[in-house]
Amino acid sequence: MNIATRFVSGALVLTAALLLAAHGASAQGTPAAPAAAATAPPGDVARGKGDFMSYGCYECHGTVGQGNFGAGARIAPNPPPWATVSSYVRRPRGDMPSFSLKILSDATLADIYAYLKSIPAGKPGSQIPLLNSTTMTPK
Amino acid sequence: MAKKNSGVDRRGFLAGIAAGGAGAAAASVAPAAVAAATETQPAATPVVPGAALPGPRLVAQETGNPAAEIDRWHVHNAGSDYMVDCLKHVGYDYITCMPGSTFRGLQESITNYGGNSKPELLSCVHEEISSGIAMGYAQMAGKPMAIIVHNTVGLQHASMNIYNAYAARVPMLILVGNIADGATRRPGVEWYHTATDVAAIVRGFIKYDSAPMSLQSFGEEVMKANSLATTPLMGPALVMVDADLAEMPNDQKQLPLPKYVPVRPPVADPAALADVAKLLVNAQFPIIVADRCARTANGMTLLVQLAEALEIPVVDYGNRMNFPTNHHLNGSFDRTLLGKADVVLGLELTDLFGLVGDVPDFPVRSTVMRIKPTTTVISINALYLQGSGNYQDQQRFFNPTMPIAGDSEASLPYLLDAVNRAMTSERRAQNPARAAAFVDSFSKRRVADLTLASTSWDASPITVGRWVAEIYNQIKNDDFSLVSGTFYQGQYPNRLWDLDKYHHISSDGGAFGVGEGLPSAIGAAIAARDQGRYSVNFNGDGDFMVAPGSLWTASHHKIPLLTVVHNNRAWHQETMHLQRMASRRERGPEKARTGTLITDPNIDYAKFAQSMGVYGEGPISQPDQLAPAIARALKVVKSGLPAVIDIVSQPR
Repeated sequence: MNIATRFVSGALVLTAALLLAAHGASAQGTPAAPAAAATAPPGDVARGKGDFMSYGCYECHGTVGQGNFGAGARIAPNPPPWATVSSYVRRPRGDMPSFSLKILSDATLADIYAYLKSIPAGKPGSQIPLLNSTTMTPK
Repeated sequence: MAKKNSGVDRRGFLAGIAAGGAGAAAASVAPAAVAAATETQPAATPVVPGAALPGPRLVAQETGNPAAEIDRWHVHNAGSDYMVDCLKHVGYDYITCMPGSTFRGLQESITNYGGNSKPELLSCVHEEISSGIAMGYAQMAGKPMAIIVHNTVGLQHASMNIYNAYAARVPMLILVGNIADGATRRPGVEWYHTATDVAAIVRGFIKYDSAPMSLQSFGEEVMKANSLATTPLMGPALVMVDADLAEMPNDQKQLPLPKYVPVRPPVADPAALADVAKLLVNAQFPIIVADRCARTANGMTLLVQLAEALEIPVVDYGNRMNFPTNHHLNGSFDRTLLGKADVVLGLELTDLFGLVGDVPDFPVRSTVMRIKPTTTVISINALYLQGSGNYQDQQRFFNPTMPIAGDSEASLPYLLDAVNRAMTSERRAQNPARAAAFVDSFSKRRVADLTLASTSWDASPITVGRWVAEIYNQIKNDDFSLVSGTFYQGQYPNRLWDLDKYHHISSDGGAFGVGEGLPSAIGAAIAARDQGRYSVNFNGDGDFMVAPGSLWTASHHKIPLLTVVHNNRAWHQETMHLQRMASRRERGPEKARTGTLITDPNIDYAKFAQSMGVYGEGPISQPDQLAPAIARALKVVKSGLPAVIDIVSQPR
């Protein structure tokens, strides 16, 4: 079993490495995405939160964009730049399915992006005592 | 078996019941049929429609032959007593069972003759639970459990987890009640529960099946089935329990038990292993990838010794406890290793192709390779010894540079010896630098994993990273067993828990047949209990609902098992698949979840557990409620009982 990828099957799987590769580049065998605006258009956070759920983004990335291994990458807090997200969603390079304009408008995507940007950063792991018992220096 | 006509004929007994007790039915029996039914029992009481069943005393008085007629009602030294002796002889501690009349003789012998000990009957409410418990038990106990099922209906129920066990290379003895002789079957139900080819519906995914027709043959076939099931490539084996054989007397009072000696596992060719050793020693960046490799604690120890001798990383697929999670050479989550490797040693890789290549899930399916064309791939695998193949569990064919037939664990001592002999002083001198590099990459990876685990720490639904960490925090100082897979939990335990004992994880789900998780966890927890530990099970809600009656067995038999329901209120893997289909077809991903959600109404798993006498906590949707709930549930588990915590969780 290819455990690294076999079960990644869902929605907006924005893997970090591929995000970097996709920025300004085209997927293999597909035309390059139209040039994306550098900054996100105004979006509605509340509407974006609803769309994040209804369009199924949460299925891989979690309801607050936290991501997990074997599913979607972490995309919040501090989501990738709008240009990267808006380009990658249309022409993803990893396992994520493509969301075309026909099913996901730029306006809706902007709302979703506004929601992701609104998610506050939590405590860093170093400030969570419960996580500090893990062995960091191996045998 | 040569049928005995000693006055204790089971079918004669049944015919007598039919004739004397079922008056209304008997009144409609054709004379020829009555004659046929009674021709083997000339001394039988004449059929009197509507008459009450005569007692043995009346029969004796009326026939003037007290001894013969009283014996007509009783059986001593039943054949199934000998069957129990066979099971004890091989060493079966347990036998799972949902009752069925085709094996009533053996079931009675297990309890009354065998004392319900070694084997002890484990009561189940569904045969899929019976086979699932046996699957989990074997992985933790290191030896098989027996199951006994009705033929046809019972074996059909049991079949899914038999298939899972087959795919997981797990041994199991399947005993199937059957009534081989059509002339002795009662009309009706017994015919529905009998097949002429007993194992037909499972033959494609078991190693062996047999339908013995004498007690001597039954004993020999049980020994043979056990030998084959426990010899790599391991898997389930089936033996029929003929009802007549079980219920009739054993007329050979001194029938000996066949000699039983465990089979030594197949070792790879020593010359080939010497070549492998040279390749590993001389490689620039060799790696080991282990799937169903370590069958015992010694297998893990040997693999650690091999890795440390060479200072090379080990990727552990997680189906067996192959390698400690806190060892600096554990490279399970370093996705750069494969691309850098010039030599890859695969140990019991069921999916060798899936390691080196992929077929990504896009409309046009195409093959991509992940290794360099020059990479040497070595495969030591007992799969090469498999003898049948309707099912495609062996995955796609990939011909490695060196395919070697043999059991990996049995071969490891010889490979380790060959490596130690091949190592030069110059090569050994490289090891400290290699070790330092892997210590560094291990530490960096754990920091990254902790960072992801801490993200959205206070979110509701609760993040998987949070609730997995909360559980570990309360069990980390105990000697426990994690008896479930962790893939749907992001493999956090494999990433962040210090798991360095072989019994820390037992998790092979086999063929991903949903409904394996809960019974398999209970089976493993039974073995862990016998070894003095409690167990923890992460169970998806979808899987939980396939065989929830498993909890009754855990309650009835007092199994110390903490089951955490990863409650994302969906068959979430399928939710993602459907969303992919809708996106691909550019039509409404927002509607695609129809049919994949387990909502409206939400299921209350705590109440479900409580209905079966199991302690239940939840639903818990706020992270600050977790720690006290876990503490309460663990207190119950440590007292020797099962408990369930329902955690309303993020999907993944």
